[in-house]
Amino acid sequence: MAFQWFTIVFGWASFFLFVVLAAYKIHRIATLPLNLRWEVYPVPHETGDKRLYGGSYMEEVDWVKKPRPSSPLAEWAEMGSEIFFLKRVREHNPYHIWPLSLALHWGLYLLILWMGLLAATVFVPALAFLTMAVGIAAFVLGACGTVGLIVKRATDRNLALYTAPIDYFNLVFLAIIFGLGLVSWLGDPHFSQHQSYIASLLLFRPTPVSTNAILFFFLLQAFAVYMPCSKLIHYVMKHFTFHEILWNDEFKVKGSSKDKQIDRQLSCLATWAGPHIAPGKTWREQVRGPLAGEDQEK
Amino acid sequence: MSKKPIRFRDVARPGNDPLVSLDAQTLMKLDPLEEQPVPRTPRPAWLETYDFSLDGFSDFDRPRPKTLEEQERFVQAFLSGLEKLFDPRNNWTFLKALKLSLDYCLRCQTCSESCHVYLASGKQEIYRPTFRSEVLRRIYQRHFTASGRWLGSFLGADIELNFNTVWRLLEMSYRCNLCRRCAMVCPVGIDNALLAREIRKLFSQELGIAPAELFRKGSRKHLEAGSSTGMTPAGFRDSIESIEEIIAEKTGRKVKVPVDKKGAEVLLIHNAGEFLSWPENPAAFSILFDAAGVDYTLSSDLLGYDAVNYGVWFDDLELGRVALRHVEIARKLGVRKIVVGECGHAHKALCVVADRVLPGNLSLSEVPRESCLPLLRDIVKSGVLRLDPKRNDFPVTLHDSCNVVRLMGIVRPQREILQAVCAQPLREMTPHGVWNYCCGGGGGFAIMDTLNFSEWRNAVSVRMKVKQVLDVFKDVLDPGTRKYVVAACSNCKGAMRGAIAHYGLKDKFGIGYGGLADLIVNAMSDLPRPYIEWDQER
Repeated sequence: MAFQWFTIVFGWASFFLFVVLAAYKIHRIATLPLNLRWEVYPVPHETGDKRLYGGSYMEEVDWVKKPRPSSPLAEWAEMGSEIFFLKRVREHNPYHIWPLSLALHWGLYLLILWMGLLAATVFVPALAFLTMAVGIAAFVLGACGTVGLIVKRATDRNLALYTAPIDYFNLVFLAIIFGLGLVSWLGDPHFSQHQSYIASLLLFRPTPVSTNAILFFFLLQAFAVYMPCSKLIHYVMKHFTFHEILWNDEFKVKGSSKDKQIDRQLSCLATWAGPHIAPGKTWREQVRGPLAGEDQEK
Repeated sequence: MSKKPIRFRDVARPGNDPLVSLDAQTLMKLDPLEEQPVPRTPRPAWLETYDFSLDGFSDFDRPRPKTLEEQERFVQAFLSGLEKLFDPRNNWTFLKALKLSLDYCLRCQTCSESCHVYLASGKQEIYRPTFRSEVLRRIYQRHFTASGRWLGSFLGADIELNFNTVWRLLEMSYRCNLCRRCAMVCPVGIDNALLAREIRKLFSQELGIAPAELFRKGSRKHLEAGSSTGMTPAGFRDSIESIEEIIAEKTGRKVKVPVDKKGAEVLLIHNAGEFLSWPENPAAFSILFDAAGVDYTLSSDLLGYDAVNYGVWFDDLELGRVALRHVEIARKLGVRKIVVGECGHAHKALCVVADRVLPGNLSLSEVPRESCLPLLRDIVKSGVLRLDPKRNDFPVTLHDSCNVVRLMGIVRPQREILQAVCAQPLREMTPHGVWNYCCGGGGGFAIMDTLNFSEWRNAVSVRMKVKQVLDVFKDVLDPGTRKYVVAACSNCKGAMRGAIAHYGLKDKFGIGYGGLADLIVNAMSDLPRPYIEWDQER
């Protein structure tokens, strides 16, 4: 009974740890200073064929005074094609990792869906068959994707040179989770043990669960805690790289919040040691003031 | 180039032996050129003094440290700069993009073949967009993160840090044109070109090391003398007289070029290199603006006649200093907006990047900065000019400046102009528009000529563009057929000039180059003779 309570507590703790750690990582990035404009076209929120050929509002004379139509929906659609189809990997990766990577990602998506279905099945038993189908698909795709990527990274020198042990660790971690999922399914074709565990979590009702199933959930929960601490949380960071930097074409308007933020940032001291940088001055003073250092080394 | 596999630990290899050495046989082929130029190795005297340990090329005529103590000081200064790169006060300008790109790269190598340098070199490992980023990442993890200190080689953070590592990292940052084509294809939005620029910035802002052409003879000369060309305000006024003479001679028209006209609608700023190397381009602007009745002025104020901003390639403070002065000149003149002439990096610096280093009263909302291309397009389409496309009855292709297309999204105006002023359909390169390849002169390379750097540029950096040009004209390569590569950017023109001379494209294939405004004026049917003179250097 104590162990069963422990599995419940560990399950909820891992969930909250995941949320807290992910929020902390997001907060750390979100609160970094406002980046200079650094967009790359096409930016998908452009409308009409500009979105296709990569045009911008700057193709117009006097664009400051003109309306600049924007489609946030198109921006999210582009991100959707990246999330669900790995569009850029498919179109540009020269080492043919797309099918493997797609399998891994869909394995993860279906795994999350399967967990949701397991929870739903507690209240709607009719979902059992769908839950089983989704679970099997998740484990098969995930296992194929992770194992395939491990082999690919180890055997293709274009990838192997850049693959550190931590990258293999991440893939092996996931491969074991998907593999255990498959093994536990073989012994429990309807995932009844997994469903029992999820029900015990949701209802705070200690329930005996098979070793396979509990080992699977332990590893999955450990992974949930580990993920925000690793670069595997890249799916969240894409929001910042794309929406805040590569697709951010917003120009500065006097008196706006961005203008005020830049004003604060210009008040920071620049303590670089280069001979052309005066000591003890803020960015504003460095940029506006008399030129320092006639004699840079080269 | 040699194809001996490179490992990351090789970056720390002591001595002056290059990690790779150029081998013409493995460079990307350039059909139908039969003879591949073979770059020369550094002169023996240079090898004794300077460092060529990356690939046998360098733009840095800075003597290698002679003692271990000097080398150690150099490494420590690098580490100090690296720390500041991650400090929100010292690097607020790009810290967010830097952190994201350094921490979340999945090492999938999707970006590899988007890089023209990597492809042109025969896929040489050290030129892969991720290679220099990975070196930077591993050094950073090892020295500035707890996980890197504890886990070391498990994270990959196992590169020895010595003088050679640091110097080769510096050199690697100047093997990237900053075209940012790699950033377009990354599934996570990682920007390896930004990381190259951050490395450049670290060296400039902390160690005071930057190519002479970019800093001492570049942004410093710009800020002190008024132009990176060394042109003073008095020299500029002389060149305006020359421009008026060129206009009179070529067109028979007496056009007064307005200078320092208070309250004009537009302040037009050219790259001052145009006045010296391609004066027909600013002259063409004056002909067009005069004919269209544009209320504009040039400025003779210090910096006001040179749109360049080399800081955008290597130094945020220099970027801000130049941009601030440009916009303040516009305020002083009381113009409504600034229009940037045919200079790609000046477009990006003034119209986009520098916006967030300027105070509120100089924001884009207060002093708009625009590209010249939409204005030229509107002039051409307005019907105010009498244009005869038959005057441009020769094959024309368009080289897209990365700064204008990929980094500003200005793609259509130049094409609409060419459609209106050329007799033959535009020959689009493959790829083109936002997917274009850099001319090979981007990121400052067009003007970097110290030691043997220009040999690397000609052999590797411009190679993809030469291939594209040869491919697009492959059915008309007879040198008797004049062909025109439009490059609406001074640095791109500089790179084209070098490439055409190096590969003999003019003599062998009749391939020339020039600006866009020149081509528009060449189509003006009310001029007595063609504006473009094919026998000039172009």
